[in-house]
Amino acid sequence: MSDAAVRGRGTHRVAAAGVVAGAVLLLALLGLPIVALLLRGGVSGLGQLGSDRELRAALWLTAQTATVATLLAMLLGTPLAYLLARGRMPAGALVGALLDLPLLIPHPVAGMALLLAFGRASPAGAALAQIGLAVVGSRTGIVLAMLFVAAPLYVSAAREAIARVDERYESVARTLGDSPVRAVWRVTRPLAGRGLVAAAVVMWARAVSEFGAIVILTYNPKVASVLSYDRFTGEGLDAALPVAAVLVILALVPLLVLRSLRAGTALGEPAR
Amino acid sequence: MRLPGIACLVVSLAFARPRDAAAASGADTVVVFTAASLAVPIRAALDSFARRTGAVVQQENGASLELARRITELGRVPDVIALADQEVFAQLLVPRVASWYVRFARNRMVVAFTGRSKGAAQIGPANWHRVLSRPDVCVGRSDPRLAPVGYRTLLLYRLAEGYYHLPGLASRLEAQTPPALIRANASELVALLQAGELDYIVDYESLARANRLRFVTLPPQIDLGDPARASQYARATVRVARRTDTTTYAGAPIVYGASVPRAAPHAAAGHRFLRYLLSPEGQAVLRAHAVDALRMPELVGDSVPPALRATRR
Repeated sequence: MSDAAVRGRGTHRVAAAGVVAGAVLLLALLGLPIVALLLRGGVSGLGQLGSDRELRAALWLTAQTATVATLLAMLLGTPLAYLLARGRMPAGALVGALLDLPLLIPHPVAGMALLLAFGRASPAGAALAQIGLAVVGSRTGIVLAMLFVAAPLYVSAAREAIARVDERYESVARTLGDSPVRAVWRVTRPLAGRGLVAAAVVMWARAVSEFGAIVILTYNPKVASVLSYDRFTGEGLDAALPVAAVLVILALVPLLVLRSLRAGTALGEPAR
Repeated sequence: MRLPGIACLVVSLAFARPRDAAAASGADTVVVFTAASLAVPIRAALDSFARRTGAVVQQENGASLELARRITELGRVPDVIALADQEVFAQLLVPRVASWYVRFARNRMVVAFTGRSKGAAQIGPANWHRVLSRPDVCVGRSDPRLAPVGYRTLLLYRLAEGYYHLPGLASRLEAQTPPALIRANASELVALLQAGELDYIVDYESLARANRLRFVTLPPQIDLGDPARASQYARATVRVARRTDTTTYAGAPIVYGASVPRAAPHAAAGHRFLRYLLSPEGQAVLRAHAVDALRMPELVGDSVPPALRATRR
């Protein structure tokens, strides 16, 4: 074996060790806080589920509002993602960049901006209040805050998923007699389906964890993140951790279900 | 390998610290936890302290109870802690975290509003409770379980009921704020008021002034602002139920407290800042920001550091 080959193998080994070390380091950074949280709060959190009505109500409210926000984002965001992916959006590059803006805004500031735009003193807020959708101190406010901070994540991931589906499949379907909308529904939707579900999962998880924007709009009724802050302030760490731990444990269930669903609904790898 | 190179560069930049003034000159660093209602005045005092001494100052603001929890539960210890309620020291901090604290300022409850609040043209010291009871008016208050300003609002309502001889007034006023309009602390209420979501908030005078809000000054018999009326205020009590316990708060004059925790990382610098805050100059800065600094700060507790003992009058 030549020296160069030996050196080459050595470099590979160092590179491989580096890759593993990097992966382990990141997993530790991400995993240790969660392990610590579950160890300190998991058991008592699950125990409290039976006795603590406020905790159950907060978890149920969080699940409901995050699901409504995610469904709304899918309903309104998928067409937008499609237009952006296919380059059919006027000023698409600009719109795409603007969609990232909500991700840049610190969340309490996002809450204040939502208040200015949709509070009862604004025209939009007055109109919403007329139809019973006041944003302050209501579920509407929670859903709105979740949409604002998390919908951009859905749209950008959905755009990527749609862009990976070759537009020529739609063209073929149309030459076979499908209308443009039907072609998208029958061809692109199932091919991008895995990606769309993945995008929805990320959005839902982000919505469940939101605190800063929600606490400005809707302190009561309390979602789980607000309840956990509330318990920390009022009662201390040992009252706050079970709330967060049980939220993580319960949120894991739909996340795992959706991940496996995503694997199951795969209709073959999208063509390049 | 270009990518790891870039990654290393980014990481080293992220952790590199600009040579800060403190490290370069050996100057003091002072980390101060400040009750939200004191944030602006203490910032001003810190800035002028930094200008005079070259100290590096850092401030963290929050609700008084939350700040106390950061110390007791999370083990994050500042050099100075300044809170809106001296009671929080007694409840959570003395003697565990600090052996003493100093009463340094007072405040009073007011009803704050803006030009577009409903009834803004009519409201005054004599009829405020009638305006706040109007069904078309939205009144915000802080959560009594989390913020001293929250239970002080309820105490104010009870004192007003006796003062105006209007049985049922306290519960009527309390019911004017549905849970949806309660917030964790006073600063969030100010945001809601300024956004036009609320017509009135019950809050500290210093916060109303700092935010340039209009406000109604209430009679001293009920506004919790007069240290000489302690026994009068104490006649009102309010029970605040939490999940695991119930606390009864009695009316007391609003007095701000400050201390240097025993485990403060820069305790000497903390003492120097506190001495500045209690000096005529520091008090002038507080007064310029609408905080009613006590002419005679009072030290409470044991083992008061020599640097501060001079301020005991």
